[in-house]
Amino acid sequence: MSTITLSMKQSITVPLEAENITPDNLAGKSVDEIKAVTVYHGNSEAVIGDFFDVTVEGSGNDPASTEIIMKGDLTRVKRIGEGMSAGSIVIEGDCDMHCGAFMRGGKITVKGNADAWAGREMRGGEIIIEGDAGNYVGSAYRGELTGMRGGKIVVEGNAGDYIGEHIGGGEIIVKGNTGVLPGLSMTGGKIIIEGTATMPGGEMTKGEIIVKGGIIDMLPGFKFEGEEEVDGATLKKYTGDLAVRGTGKGILLVG
Amino acid sequence: MTILIKNGVVFDPAQGIDGEKMDIAIDGDKFVEDVSSPDEVIDAGGRMVVPGGVELHTHIAGGKVNAGRIMRPEDGRKGRIPRGKLTRACSGFSVLNTFATAYTYARMGYTTTFEAAMPPLLARHTHEEFEDTPITDKGALVLLDNNWMTIEYAKSGDLDKLAAYVSWMSEASKAYGIKIVNPGGTEAWGWGKNCSINDPVPGFDVTPKEIIKALAQVNEDLGLPHSIHIHCNDLGHPGNFETTIETYEAVKDIKPSSDRQVMHATHTQFHSYGGSNWGDFESKADEIAKYINKNDHITIDLGVVMFCDTTTMTADGPMEYSLHTLSRRKWSNHDVELETGSGIIPVAYSPKIGVNAIQWAIGLELALLITDPWKMALTTDHPNGCPFTFYPEIIALLMSKAKRESMLETVSEAVGKRALIATIDRELTWSDIITMTRAGPAKILGMSDTKGSLKVGADADLAIYDIMPESFDPTKDYKTIEDKLMRTVYTIKGGEIVVRDGEITATPHGRTFWVNPAGKKAEAARDGMLEDLERMFRDYYTVSMANYPVQDEYIPHGVEIRTEVN
Amino acid sequence: MAAETVSNVVCPLCGCLCDDIEVIVEDGKISNVKKACPLGKNKIMGHDRIKAPMIRENGEFKEVSYDDVIEKSAQILAQAKRPLLYGWASLICEAQRKGVELAEEIGALIDTTASVCHGSTVVGVQGRGAPGCTLGEIKNRADLVIYWGCNPQEAHPRHRARYAHSVKGMYRPNGKNDRKVFVIDVRETKTAKVADEFVKIDPGYDYMAFSALRTILAGHADVVPDTVGGVAKEKLVEMVDAMKSCEFGVIFGGMGLTHTRCRYKNLENVISLVDELNAHTKFTLIPMRGHYNVNGSGHSLAWLTGYPFAIDFSRGYAWYNPGETTSNDLLMRREVDAMMAIAGDPGAHFPGESLRHMAKIPLIQIDPYANPTTELADIVIPTAVSGVEVDGTAYRMDGVPIRTRKVVETEYLTDEEVLERILTRVRELKGGN
Repeated sequence: MSTITLSMKQSITVPLEAENITPDNLAGKSVDEIKAVTVYHGNSEAVIGDFFDVTVEGSGNDPASTEIIMKGDLTRVKRIGEGMSAGSIVIEGDCDMHCGAFMRGGKITVKGNADAWAGREMRGGEIIIEGDAGNYVGSAYRGELTGMRGGKIVVEGNAGDYIGEHIGGGEIIVKGNTGVLPGLSMTGGKIIIEGTATMPGGEMTKGEIIVKGGIIDMLPGFKFEGEEEVDGATLKKYTGDLAVRGTGKGILLVG
Repeated sequence: MTILIKNGVVFDPAQGIDGEKMDIAIDGDKFVEDVSSPDEVIDAGGRMVVPGGVELHTHIAGGKVNAGRIMRPEDGRKGRIPRGKLTRACSGFSVLNTFATAYTYARMGYTTTFEAAMPPLLARHTHEEFEDTPITDKGALVLLDNNWMTIEYAKSGDLDKLAAYVSWMSEASKAYGIKIVNPGGTEAWGWGKNCSINDPVPGFDVTPKEIIKALAQVNEDLGLPHSIHIHCNDLGHPGNFETTIETYEAVKDIKPSSDRQVMHATHTQFHSYGGSNWGDFESKADEIAKYINKNDHITIDLGVVMFCDTTTMTADGPMEYSLHTLSRRKWSNHDVELETGSGIIPVAYSPKIGVNAIQWAIGLELALLITDPWKMALTTDHPNGCPFTFYPEIIALLMSKAKRESMLETVSEAVGKRALIATIDRELTWSDIITMTRAGPAKILGMSDTKGSLKVGADADLAIYDIMPESFDPTKDYKTIEDKLMRTVYTIKGGEIVVRDGEITATPHGRTFWVNPAGKKAEAARDGMLEDLERMFRDYYTVSMANYPVQDEYIPHGVEIRTEVN
Repeated sequence: MAAETVSNVVCPLCGCLCDDIEVIVEDGKISNVKKACPLGKNKIMGHDRIKAPMIRENGEFKEVSYDDVIEKSAQILAQAKRPLLYGWASLICEAQRKGVELAEEIGALIDTTASVCHGSTVVGVQGRGAPGCTLGEIKNRADLVIYWGCNPQEAHPRHRARYAHSVKGMYRPNGKNDRKVFVIDVRETKTAKVADEFVKIDPGYDYMAFSALRTILAGHADVVPDTVGGVAKEKLVEMVDAMKSCEFGVIFGGMGLTHTRCRYKNLENVISLVDELNAHTKFTLIPMRGHYNVNGSGHSLAWLTGYPFAIDFSRGYAWYNPGETTSNDLLMRREVDAMMAIAGDPGAHFPGESLRHMAKIPLIQIDPYANPTTELADIVIPTAVSGVEVDGTAYRMDGVPIRTRKVVETEYLTDEEVLERILTRVRELKGGN
């Protein structure tokens, strides 16, 4: 087991692209080797050592037994944990866009808020966002057919608009409220919203959305199917979205 | 600048040279007999030396290609390469940006590329993109078959006026030749309908066959370098091989004006289908090949399908919509007033889907069953069958039965039942391949004086691949073909070294060839035609006739080819 | 010098790109403009020109030479870590192409006014496609015309007369009498007043209305509630009937779709509606593009980079992600450290938070006209007016490229010349690679 701690030296305004900060890339590296790993700052290339103080405790070459702890002001650090397959990252504060994009395994914990596209096109693993999440949690890239396909994202606070857009598999749980159109064009997987949601399930063709806190603006293409018990609560069950050429194999459960 | 290429193993089918060790000399932008004290000597060291590739049917520039780029950012992100010292940033897998198109063709040894479908009203767009597509020489085929003027003249049989119209449009759009795409069917798509070859076009009492015959006759009356270039009716429909053969038959009696075909039928794979629905869909490549082998007035290109997620784009609007209803991903369509249309959708060809696997087989079968390589050009109808970057793998498949057998194991068993590929033993030779990618397409385009050959006086376009033909067995070592044909050791374009060891070394502007048909045939009925055309602009177009023709500013590297038939 | 009439001039104002304008030139100056709408006439006649290049010193503008502003601009751009080049709509493609070259050279973000206009439409197209056609198809064939969230009477004044409503075409010889026009909007606009039918919708409910129309089209009217977004179900059913039964229908989409709740999802939904209508009849969609060549900016950027707007070259290749690489997202996050505004007026159209950041960073303006952006700019570079003083390519809202005409001579440098000179100087500063 090894613990790599990256402490951001100072706040920045021009964002850092840090897709190289993953257990897969940093496992087994010495402090100096980690400091030399490339990050991109605006239009110039830099290294981790330019922005972070680095310490390594313990040893091991295996990403699965590597934990990365990130400290300091990370609000302008994008793409943390991109494509990671194992191990864990703990972000002790807020982080910028695309955290855990393409993630395949392992775990990311964001102690604060995560900006948009957390878990974009995720395949596996787990992301816990203890604060709020931005738009497009677990969504697709522009023009792409499928967003998140596997794994789990938990948002303890609120989430923004279009979460789980084009989600094809996996699970998103939001403890708070969400913005407009969660689960848009959903083709599989599950979204659970404990709070409220606006227009959930637009153009969904498969998969399941549970909204416990009530819906603002129910879409017109959903058919009421009766009531259903879920975890002791009585929920109204709808199927839809019939707007999509009358298919409507998606399930929407509303508290 | 003079260059001497020594010790190459040369394939130049136009001169009957089939793997001979010899030197090639370049002076300026032409091949010459010999050069004394050359500025640069390239020792090919026994590697394969061939003419620069000639692509006679590709979709690389213009409105519909760009609509594909705009519609597919997810495709754009697949091919990104940062800018280099000489090169601009690249993007795209099936819808490449113009720079990626140019560099990739050049790296693969291609030096001439023809955009196969230019709507006249949007011609400026194609030419603007050509200017940002460096290195290769280019030309565009202009869509003239669904134009109201053409349809009216085909109906009235006034071929002199049609000749005047074709001539005026060729100059106005700065086009190289006449393209026909689903004649009548694209006009019918203006009402959401389609036409087969003998259906009257809605609103016009004339059939597609009559349109085809009229344009074929006028093409020869004007003595254009290329023949009509046709995308037949019923593309992609099960059972369409009969329409295809009927289309070939329609022009059998028309006499070519030069030593070439009367009709070039494009992406024939998509037109060689048997069956009556997707369930009994089958290959009829044998029927098509039989016809081509027996007749000399038709040439084809293949339009090979390979398994990938690509983008289909064509002026055949109704076909694209019908294909879209099968996959329902996203669909763009752009009908062009009085002239043509277009449709664009993403398509993922899967080896596990029977229909796709049979399509894959048909493209290869055509190449293996047609005996004369001069009658067929290698194309993928980029990006419709797959991106042109699949050429090396397709060539490996055509040269190696072993490669085909290994691939057959991975495709749907429908191929064994309803295609012929598994029963064919033929393995093409280097000479076949070089004919199908150089000498043949150059001859089909009517450019054999300057393109597709290393002969003295031709344009000094040449490729050297890291393959030693004298000690290389393509039937066994097919993986090397796939690897080495992707990146040349040298590509020389117009006497300039543009690629060395697979890297771009220079990015000159390519030229744009366009044909200006003059002479009595073109001009006899011009006044009457112009009256008709002025009426079309006054009453039906939404741009002024004065703003319609492509201005000279758009072809700063244009090469005018004047034909004159009196 | 006698008065000369220049015919077939192309109007460089809106996406209609009317190409039948007559401009009267006397003594090298434009004295009158005929056939244009008042907006176009005003643009061609000219107004509020910036007189000379200017640099702000101690808060005040000082007139300087072109050499000075080009040198200063190149210095700023060559040093910037996250420069933004914004605008590119009211100028010709030749300048846009040069702009992309500059953006690549300095690793900049390049974004167009589509970012605050029809960018949502473009993103919608990326989800669902673009079932469209040229305007002549509407003129010759359309018998059902729907203006949804747009008001051409005020924003595209000649649109109805030239392309879509009163105009006569091959299969619509009686013009207006052969067509039915619907307007769907949140208020009764001037266009609504000349339409056959006006349907009032609650603000922000377009997505739901499209969903309702699609659900009805799919044969499930039974599940649709009695009203959707303030529109009665009977009216929605009537609309679907009209759409299904026409011979050729078109929806012109405007900013009422792109700038309200659900933004590009409104576009995705209406594109799918149009797609599905094609199973019944011929149906198309055309976005009502604003600036005369904003469509051209999308086209030229796409063939050069692969993407139509919001492109980030900081990594050497093009990265595109609206919401991340769009101007206001960048400015509001204060990422940008230098900005060029060219042929677009962010000062007038961006939110306060963006403007506050623009005021803090070096801002270079390239434009023929003084406008609210000038108030924030540190360097101002006046240029010739494309389409009046410079000829070049523009793309109409339907993708038809037309070469604009040069009508009069000018002393001003063209946009392309200014960009070329900045690019040359930037290359020198960056070590001439």
